Amino acid sequence: MPRYTAVENNIIIRKTRRLPTVGDVLVKLCEIVREDTIIARGRVRNPELVEVRVDQRIGVDPYNLSGYMLKAEGNAVKKDEVIAIRRSFFGKSTRVCRSPIDGTIEIFSKSSGKVLIRGEPLPIEVKAHIPGKVTELLPGEGVVLECKGSIARGVIGLGGETHGFIESLVDAPDEALTNGLIDKTHAGKIIVGGSFATLEALRKAASVGAAAVVVGGVDEKDLTELLGYELGFGVTGQEKIGLNLIVTEGFGANPMNSEAFQLFKEHRGRLACVDGTTQIRTRMLRPEVIIPS
Amino acid sequence: MAVKNRDAFVVVDIGDAETKATLVQRENGVYRLMGTGEAETTLDAPELDVTIGICRAVESLRKFGGRLLGEEGPEGVRLLCSSSNGGGLYMMVASVISIISGESAQRAALGAGAHLVGIFSKDDPRPEYRIIENMRDTRPDMFLLAGGTDGGAFNQVLEMASIIKDADIKPRFGSDYRLPVIFAGNIEAREKVAEKLTELYATRAVDNVRPVIERENLGPAKEAIYDSYMEHVITHSPGYERLAKWVDGPILPTQAAIGRMLYTYAERRNANLLAVNVGGSTTDIYSVYRGVFNRSLDAELGLTYGAMNVLKTVGIERIERWLPEAMDERKIRNIVGNLMVLQLEKFSTDERLIIGALAREVIRIGAEEHKKLASRLKGITIRRTIADTFAQSLEPTYLDMGDTQVIIGMGTAFDGSLGDATMLLLDSLEPIYLTELYIDRAGLIPHAGMLLGEAPEAAFSVLTGETLLRLGTCLIPAGKGEGEAVKINLRRQDGKTSDESVNFGEIKTLPILNGETCKIEAISGKGLNLGKGKEKMLDATVTGGALGLIIDARGRPLKTPDKKNTIKRWAEVLSPAGSR
Repeated sequence: MPRYTAVENNIIIRKTRRLPTVGDVLVKLCEIVREDTIIARGRVRNPELVEVRVDQRIGVDPYNLSGYMLKAEGNAVKKDEVIAIRRSFFGKSTRVCRSPIDGTIEIFSKSSGKVLIRGEPLPIEVKAHIPGKVTELLPGEGVVLECKGSIARGVIGLGGETHGFIESLVDAPDEALTNGLIDKTHAGKIIVGGSFATLEALRKAASVGAAAVVVGGVDEKDLTELLGYELGFGVTGQEKIGLNLIVTEGFGANPMNSEAFQLFKEHRGRLACVDGTTQIRTRMLRPEVIIPS
Repeated sequence: MAVKNRDAFVVVDIGDAETKATLVQRENGVYRLMGTGEAETTLDAPELDVTIGICRAVESLRKFGGRLLGEEGPEGVRLLCSSSNGGGLYMMVASVISIISGESAQRAALGAGAHLVGIFSKDDPRPEYRIIENMRDTRPDMFLLAGGTDGGAFNQVLEMASIIKDADIKPRFGSDYRLPVIFAGNIEAREKVAEKLTELYATRAVDNVRPVIERENLGPAKEAIYDSYMEHVITHSPGYERLAKWVDGPILPTQAAIGRMLYTYAERRNANLLAVNVGGSTTDIYSVYRGVFNRSLDAELGLTYGAMNVLKTVGIERIERWLPEAMDERKIRNIVGNLMVLQLEKFSTDERLIIGALAREVIRIGAEEHKKLASRLKGITIRRTIADTFAQSLEPTYLDMGDTQVIIGMGTAFDGSLGDATMLLLDSLEPIYLTELYIDRAGLIPHAGMLLGEAPEAAFSVLTGETLLRLGTCLIPAGKGEGEAVKINLRRQDGKTSDESVNFGEIKTLPILNGETCKIEAISGKGLNLGKGKEKMLDATVTGGALGLIIDARGRPLKTPDKKNTIKRWAEVLSPAGSR
């Protein structure tokens, strides 16, 4: 059975908001923040890594390369900057090796003559995600935020974090969410359906710019259509499908649990902070909708 | 601490979700399983101490043996422990040539119960920086470096060591210790490898896994893996430091305990053995053929967390083909999805059918993958004679379904009725000729494996007396035929005889009691073979199981019928056999 509680009403919600690296925390202790307040900024490792065969470029044996290197491990380099040079015949014949990118020399292998250059770090920022009060500072990393509110958890979600105002489009938890119920006025909204969302409804929601759809069930086949690939393992959060999706009960048509449906109905028009990130096995992380009081 | 009774053991296996304890004790010269107890594993919050779950599991054994575990550890018993929590032991292996030292290193790591999260070699087609990236991004628990025969490849081994050095790999858990790296390659490269790696890693060198091209030597590498697991890896999990003081002997990966038990069982029976363990997210295959042990693992393929991955891998048609009734594709996909996201404890009929279909496919894939690893050593030049052309010794894989005396099913896939478990093994592995089918009914093979080193009789008492259940001996003709497929004369020990026949495409059971032995004379029909040649007679002694003697005359290779009724009829032959 799932190791999580589907709905928790009127509780103190604590969220740790942390950079995946060391950076600058931009808020103060006890500060009141909005859901879109930037909490911290930092720079993360660039996944771009370029290999340069410096030994071949300047025509020396790898074991003798050190004497020709102008840059060492950890040095920043600019695109086209010379990183190694070999002069011979009293300077009349010169061979150079230039960096193909802006970045940092990450590895210089004396045995293979290879240099690996990592692209410049990428800027990253962490937002509050929920409105609340900063109750703890995590120096160089982020903060712990606290607010009162309710949480509804789903079983699987797509997409990362978003927020918007709740719009319940069905009257009963066993009612399906169809594309006819969705229009342009739902742009930026958190659309709540009942038992099932059709593929057309999900596409319509994305096309009108809805922030998220929360629904009891979807067909796995529709999810595959929407994603363009089969899900495989239950690890999500990085999908780019134009909206976030929270499935509260499971695949297929499943009436939304009454507690969750009631919660959304009662809070129609209120702010909801949605996180579709799911990691079923490793961290038992389930997608959630937070409704701050 | 209380004096330990050398003949009383509490054996504990710590799984991801559940910790299972057993009390095994000698009474009147015979080891008996006194009882088993279970509790939730307490590695995560709020407990964050694995010994709490162990104490709870052992507490439920109190009625069998009084107080067995106190604050200071075991009281009056010896404690043995295996563990697979956190997904088990995550290892990377690297080598010079992938199909030579690479495969030997894989066999050593898998045989020691590891879950391979990275396989690298000097002939890897990926650029070096990608290999480094991969090493860095996937944090293992341990690294095994092999490569070069003794006195052979040297520079390439050092180049691979340089890559490992450049990658500066961090361990999966705990930032305060260095990743253990075991070097089991060219003995002449030991010093230089140590020079390169000691600064960053906890290195140790052991005998080469491939000292010469013609021979593999996996034992020292496996022992080093166990030692490093105990010294470096497991002690970094909450509560294990305390547990390490309680146990008599090393804590082994669960899969290693299973492997040890299966190997010893096959050796003692002088039989070739194939075992499958289908779990929620992984599928393990173990084999012992002519004394050679192998284990392979299909990570991410299983019946709950791995269910959608199975569907993604095999496609919907291969799932549909096993269902006795046509089912809408959307329904199948939704059920598979829910197996992953909901981790149900009770199943509807449709869910059971789909789990059965997934299990068949996942075992089939696992066996195919296993064939690649359970193979003769590659890289050896073989002079073939005409006679060798027909010899099994030159087959690319050791797996030979026609020479498999024992098949064992383990894991949740075999939790259904005995008939379902039997059909699952027959459909997925397609044994031929004569094979005994078993299931691990109590899930105690890891416990038996832990007992092996301390009290082999106790291990066999638990294995054969408590956990292995013989489903039956199967008589299976290979090939395609029609009409009468097998004609059999059965002679019981009391001299009574009976004649039976089974038509092609049918399955039938003959009532022989579990453990009863009978002599059979069986002749295969036209086009079919019982291992003695087409339409030749097989004389054998067979032992009955819970389902008696099973004659599977559906032909091999097994073709799933177009008519759903046939699948239904096959299932019905064995399904009344009831549950465990």
